[in-house]
Amino acid sequence: MSSVAPAHVHSAEVPQPAQHGKPGGIMRRLNFGTGLIGGIGLAIIAGVVTSQFVPSGYASPVTFAPMEGEYVYLAVLLGWVIGFMAGMGAFVGPIRWMLGRESTHLDAEYMAGKDLGRSRYWKYTTDHKVVGIQYLIVTFIVFGFGGLLAMLIRTELGATWTEVFSPAFYNSIIGTHGIAMIIAMIIAVSGPLGNFIVPMMIGARDMAYPRLNALSIWLLVAAVPCLISSLFLGGIQDGWSAYQPLASQAPIGMLGYQMTIIVFAISTGIASVNLMTTILTMRAKGMSWSRTPIFVYGIFAASLMGLYAFPFYQYSQILSLSDRVFNTSFFNPLEGGSVWLYENLFWLLGHPEVYVIIIPTAAVLMEILPVFMRKPLFSFNFAVAGIVGVVALSGLVWAHHMYMTGWAPAVNYPFMLSTEMISIPVGFLVLVVIGTLWRGTSWSRLPLMAVYAVVFNKMIGGVTGIYLSDVPADQYFHGSMFVVAHFHYMLMGAGFFGAMGGIAFYFPKMTGKILDERYGSIGLWTVFVGFQLTFGSMFVAGLQGQPRRVLQFDEQFDISNWISTIGAYTIGVGTLIFLGAIIFSWRDGPMVSGNPWASKSLEWQTPTPVPLENFAVLPVVTERPYNYGVPDPYDEELRAHDGDELESAGAR
Amino acid sequence: MKKFLVILATVLAGVLVVGGIGAVSSISQEEPPVLAATLDGTTMDTPNNGTLPHATLDLSVYPNSSDAVPPPKAGPYESAWLSGQPFYHPSTTIQVPANSVVTINFTQYDSGGQIYNPFFAHVHGSMDGTMTWNGKSVKNVKSDSVGHTFTVHQYPESSQPYFFLSVPLPMNAANAKTDKAGYPVDPQKISVTFVTGEAGTYVWNCEFPCGDEYQEFGGPMQTRGWMAGTFEVVA
Amino acid sequence: MTMTQAPQEQPESPTNRPPSMHRFKNWMRRPYARHVMIWTVVIGFLLLPLCWLLLAAMNQTGAPASEIMQDIETTVFVFTLVSIPITAFVFAVLLYSLIGWKRISSDEPPMQENPAIFTNRIGVVLWTVVTSALAMFLVVWGMIELAQITANSYGTISANEQPGGNQSVIVNVTGQQWVWTFAYPQTDGLVSDILYLPVDKPVYFNVTSKDVIHNFWAVELGVKIDANPGAVTTAGVTPNKLGTFNIRCAELCGMHHAYMETEVRVVTQEQFDSWVREMGGRRTS
Repeated sequence: MSSVAPAHVHSAEVPQPAQHGKPGGIMRRLNFGTGLIGGIGLAIIAGVVTSQFVPSGYASPVTFAPMEGEYVYLAVLLGWVIGFMAGMGAFVGPIRWMLGRESTHLDAEYMAGKDLGRSRYWKYTTDHKVVGIQYLIVTFIVFGFGGLLAMLIRTELGATWTEVFSPAFYNSIIGTHGIAMIIAMIIAVSGPLGNFIVPMMIGARDMAYPRLNALSIWLLVAAVPCLISSLFLGGIQDGWSAYQPLASQAPIGMLGYQMTIIVFAISTGIASVNLMTTILTMRAKGMSWSRTPIFVYGIFAASLMGLYAFPFYQYSQILSLSDRVFNTSFFNPLEGGSVWLYENLFWLLGHPEVYVIIIPTAAVLMEILPVFMRKPLFSFNFAVAGIVGVVALSGLVWAHHMYMTGWAPAVNYPFMLSTEMISIPVGFLVLVVIGTLWRGTSWSRLPLMAVYAVVFNKMIGGVTGIYLSDVPADQYFHGSMFVVAHFHYMLMGAGFFGAMGGIAFYFPKMTGKILDERYGSIGLWTVFVGFQLTFGSMFVAGLQGQPRRVLQFDEQFDISNWISTIGAYTIGVGTLIFLGAIIFSWRDGPMVSGNPWASKSLEWQTPTPVPLENFAVLPVVTERPYNYGVPDPYDEELRAHDGDELESAGAR
Repeated sequence: MKKFLVILATVLAGVLVVGGIGAVSSISQEEPPVLAATLDGTTMDTPNNGTLPHATLDLSVYPNSSDAVPPPKAGPYESAWLSGQPFYHPSTTIQVPANSVVTINFTQYDSGGQIYNPFFAHVHGSMDGTMTWNGKSVKNVKSDSVGHTFTVHQYPESSQPYFFLSVPLPMNAANAKTDKAGYPVDPQKISVTFVTGEAGTYVWNCEFPCGDEYQEFGGPMQTRGWMAGTFEVVA
Repeated sequence: MTMTQAPQEQPESPTNRPPSMHRFKNWMRRPYARHVMIWTVVIGFLLLPLCWLLLAAMNQTGAPASEIMQDIETTVFVFTLVSIPITAFVFAVLLYSLIGWKRISSDEPPMQENPAIFTNRIGVVLWTVVTSALAMFLVVWGMIELAQITANSYGTISANEQPGGNQSVIVNVTGQQWVWTFAYPQTDGLVSDILYLPVDKPVYFNVTSKDVIHNFWAVELGVKIDANPGAVTTAGVTPNKLGTFNIRCAELCGMHHAYMETEVRVVTQEQFDSWVREMGGRRTS
């Protein structure tokens, strides 16, 4: 990689701190391997030490549960997380700072992975591009894990004449599938694309807090084994919502879930702060808010919602853990606690969280459309209004998940109002998309196909959401497969397909290769067809009255479930085809230029592979985004310019 | 061509991984071996269904495992987590013949206490509403001295007949004389007789809080093979 | 890309601007506008049978068996009907974009020349007004229905404090892992695992749980309420159809959650009374 001389804005030399040893210092030796050693080592030590302190056979005086396993498991999990982060070198920065050693420019360059080649992906690297790729890989792994469980679930539901798995195991895999997919979808767009693309899109060299880049991804990596370990220790037999007091009855695998969430919430909070600060403070000169691409708005909105919502999730799990392990009774009604408290805390996260998933994928679509339609985004201001509206309302709707709990029947009315109202800003985004499609001859490529799939699914998901927002209708649909089909249409139909489109779109920038068109589209459309089969017939099962989270059901639901299972296998095959296309294209595909889609956006103006400092000269923005298209032949009625000047050239 | 092979390899690898994990999980979670009621050649009169063949079945409930009575087969985690917990012996996969009169003889070795829901301290679903307890015919036990229950209830299948049977198994006194293995020498003996209809599949579980965790309904109460199982009426 | 300055718009005085109907007719003269409108109508009609099909799926096991369930079904019908126009329009645009405005599949960016529509005030305003109006209609409808159902189920008053006394049946529903039990406090201690109800009489349920959260769902009667430990929630219904219907648990409650099913048998008053006698209870109130 050639060195890039930074532009000297001032003529005075900034005095550099003294260089201690080689650039990077101890970070030269720390990587994923030392992380594993540190994590496993400290986990074992913590487990052994704890088991010495807990008297053998100690049982809780309240629940008679053997507590030794709980304390040891908790210690093991904590030891793993702390040891792994220490082994990765997360504490090196703060410790160095406390010792009075500033890091020099060479240290920072080393940490950013300069001249390290492939090994920088295995280290605590701060370069946002490296972190973006790391998020992509982790997304694949977590999504694959969740997908594996989905195939097992559908096998059980399709084999209506027998029980393939025991009920306890089935309850466990549906919960683990849920949380794995939720994690995968949360990070699917904000992770790879938020980290890799956003700084380049706003004309910055990196994120605002480069070390937090690395911290957020490696905390996520530390959380994943916590979740997987739970499956071997009885599983999380409670659904991903982990309602108390059932969570206090489950085997100790529940602790794995709770630790996963506690760590994941920290990771997301850090990432949110990082993204928001970057977007607020590091946009290029001339990039006013009306010239900021809509994807940046989407990521900002998702980060904001994540920042206020995830602490609720973390808090609910900390209290839940405390109920289990330390015999508190926050949620134990027989000792003065309240089950509704848990439900409220959980859904205060649970609802904004789906917008954290949906808004970035909608924003990616709105980024893809102008490029492939060669038309401006329809009504940029309206799109921003939609995103702002969703963020504003997202925190006011959570109790629509609690209509049937009997918590406070009088508040069902205002929540019904706010929930129906939130469909309006989401509708704004739909209008922006169809307005951009309007009167445009499209350049039909894989990213654009994803847009069609997403809009179709989002309409179905949105309309069925309206049923669920209505309390009388919800009185039938709550807790049935109708709800499951609805959120799969939204989170998977819009979220997953949007992620596929976004990855296909940014694949050339992130990997330098183009995603194979033929197999990528075969994969996408196979998943699409399977998706309609699976969840379309799941709506029917829900209408007929099949409850959710059941492994055996009445024979009237048999046909819907057989169709769903066939559809699910189709989804599985389609996803594998898409994965194969990614693998093949990444390894052996032809190299492409820096801007194969001829986009006018800033991130595409960098060469591929993107140099360490992104831009040789920081760009200045002089025109609004999505400046494509020619003057409208139907001139008089449709030309409205929003008062903005249309300049031609702009420094790129 | 190479692209196609990579795709094919990915798909096959994925299918194998999923199939393999599924198969391994399924096989390792098989229900315990079937314990079938045996027809003993006699017939019995029933109040509403005429004279039907009679079958019997023996079940025991042990408070914990020992050298004399091994615990149910379970995976490594479950065996560790549930060691020292009560279980039904020899199996929890019960099979009874359809259109028959079945008598189950329980031998209950465990202690007990207060049951949460007094409904389950009564007998429900037996032929005449009673059970035989140590030779006496009773309709219920005192709700503060229940050991376990054997409650068979509905499988979500509307095409099979509704079946509900609940038998409270009284506890052994705390100071009962125990043998070398720790079990009472004089356990509680309960018999219940009920009529089966057409074939169907049901599940059963204990309704007395004999496990641990919250409300003592965790642990063995939520594990097939220990305090819960399936109940099949076969034609 | 160079572009000349936008020509000055003509002054907005009424004499210069064509009247709205004229502008609308002009717009409809454009082929794509007509086509999209036609496709919207066609797709709308194709989606219309859904209103009845959804209800047919819900009614497969004997629903509706009460006024409440009837109200729920009416709500589903109306919601489907109201959602069809926007859905049909969006689908029509999606479809027309593929078939009408066409696609180019090429490896290099085709640089096709599409009109630079930055916004369209009429479209934006119309969409906002229509979707908001539809949403508000649905909210108001929902609230009125909810008030009606609450009144029909006497939802916010505890079942034991209901007026009517002799004319109503009170059932204490207890969910326990993993069996529903129904106690009839008016019958001197009768507790049953099957819910027997007399037809055309209001029933009030006091629902609670002995352990974890369950959800009492009488499917065809349209009753659904969580059974929470440590609290009593209430619901009510008047069954108006004889038959045997399902009660399911709709909140994951542990291993045998799927098997927590029982039956509700709506019978005539005489059959109900004789059942009470058979089970050893007697009417005390």
